[in-house]
Amino acid sequence: MTQAWVLGQRALREAWRTPEALLPTLFIPLFFLVVNVGQAARIFPSHSTAFLHGQGYGAFQLPSSLLLAASFGSAALFLVEDIEGGYFDKLRATPIPRTAIVLGRLIAESVKGVLLATALVLLGLVFGISVASGVLGFLLLVVLAALWAVVFSGFMLSIALKTRSAAATNSAGLIFFPLLFLTPNFVPRNLLTRPMEIAATLNPVTYVMEALRSLILEDLVWSKILYGFTVAAVLGLVMLALNVRLIRNYD
Amino acid sequence: MSYATNGKNAVQAEGLVKHYSSGKDVIEAVRGVDLRIEAGEVFGFLGPNGAGKSTTVRMLTTLLSITSGTAFVAGVDVARDPDEARRRMGVALQEAGLDPRQTGRELLVLQGRLFGLSPNEAATRAEELLALVELEDAADRRIKGYSGGMKRRLDLASALVHEPDVLFLDEPTTGLDPASRLTVWDELRRINGRGTTIFLTTQYLEEADQLCDRIAIIDDGLIVREGTPTQLKAELRERRSLASDPTLDDVFLDATGRTRVAGDVQEVSR
Repeated sequence: MTQAWVLGQRALREAWRTPEALLPTLFIPLFFLVVNVGQAARIFPSHSTAFLHGQGYGAFQLPSSLLLAASFGSAALFLVEDIEGGYFDKLRATPIPRTAIVLGRLIAESVKGVLLATALVLLGLVFGISVASGVLGFLLLVVLAALWAVVFSGFMLSIALKTRSAAATNSAGLIFFPLLFLTPNFVPRNLLTRPMEIAATLNPVTYVMEALRSLILEDLVWSKILYGFTVAAVLGLVMLALNVRLIRNYD
Repeated sequence: MSYATNGKNAVQAEGLVKHYSSGKDVIEAVRGVDLRIEAGEVFGFLGPNGAGKSTTVRMLTTLLSITSGTAFVAGVDVARDPDEARRRMGVALQEAGLDPRQTGRELLVLQGRLFGLSPNEAATRAEELLALVELEDAADRRIKGYSGGMKRRLDLASALVHEPDVLFLDEPTTGLDPASRLTVWDELRRINGRGTTIFLTTQYLEEADQLCDRIAIIDDGLIVREGTPTQLKAELRERRSLASDPTLDDVFLDATGRTRVAGDVQEVSR
């Protein structure tokens, strides 16, 4: 674990020294939040829209922005740089567990995820969004968003390890958009058309989004929260195992 | 008892083979390499581009799987116990694998931590190595601002952080200006003087002649010559009945089936 932590610190230094890679991950989700609220807020007035639980439409949209921010991690592109520059081989030539190489990157992504989610939620508070589940809910919100950052970074790392190409890795990241839009992104699941409802039910992102949304709009609804955390934790472990396997078989 | 006093070679490979699949084709990059390198030697591994030098080094350093054959470094089987083998060897590959966003000191401390040193031990070791490769003044600058020679020296230092028994260097002076190359040579002599075995691949025959106790020439995945530079030159002089001693360039060209044409090197059919 020590080695994973020192590699995590190195990845955090890398991120800190490349602010130009970090800033869009805050700006783009905010942009989507503003645009989506601007386009749909009048359709869903808070006083007559039951699923908003008395809040504005921005509160309903905030989870989408949190997930979007969590899916913009740069770990995979930094890994491709390591591979192309030879530093990845330097790490492989050390006697550390292969898990540590992956975990180092994921630890850094989780820290960045916590910071980004905190910044987004605090900005949301400034614009009138409140976290109905209180301080504990706020912490769970931030941790779940960070956990999703780990899951999606794990997916992107696996693409980087498989393709060793920045272009392919960048393109693979776009898969998040269909995943994000096949969710109850604009309205709750029960208001979707039947085909969309089926697609959203099959999409694991739905359960993370619904957990995040419940924390913002409702009190602590443990059934939804546990679903979200379970989906993210299982996918996180799958991604970790996949990446370790890819590094072990890396030639 | 160390591997050397135990009668084991610093590097020993038998029947080392590497095949790659490329669609339906199988590429035989290395076709059966045998090596025996004694502790304390500087061993030069030469060959034309694509001959199998780097592939052999990558197999010996656990970075590439071995199709068949066995390889031991400092008495440790690199395929069966790669982590133990990694503790015994230092590796500096062709690309000078460094992280440009870190400082030289950060890179060395991190490397030390990955080899199990405590934070204080890693900091002390980094200081020693920065002095060894004369990079104290640039230690706290980011690596992206280093010159090619500085990067090579830092890469060399990072390969030495855990005081390895065997140091693998894949073309350590390629792309360096003559002054930087001489500096690296001096450092290699110093490192070898402390007892570290050095396995060196190089494109520069003068470098091999200056530094290496023994050399092997690989061509098309097979070792075609092996011996001390003096032995190899004497063998060529005798076989070709030459009037004067040939150079190591002549030995190389003879071994790889290439010949000089109007100052250039050209391949001949065999």
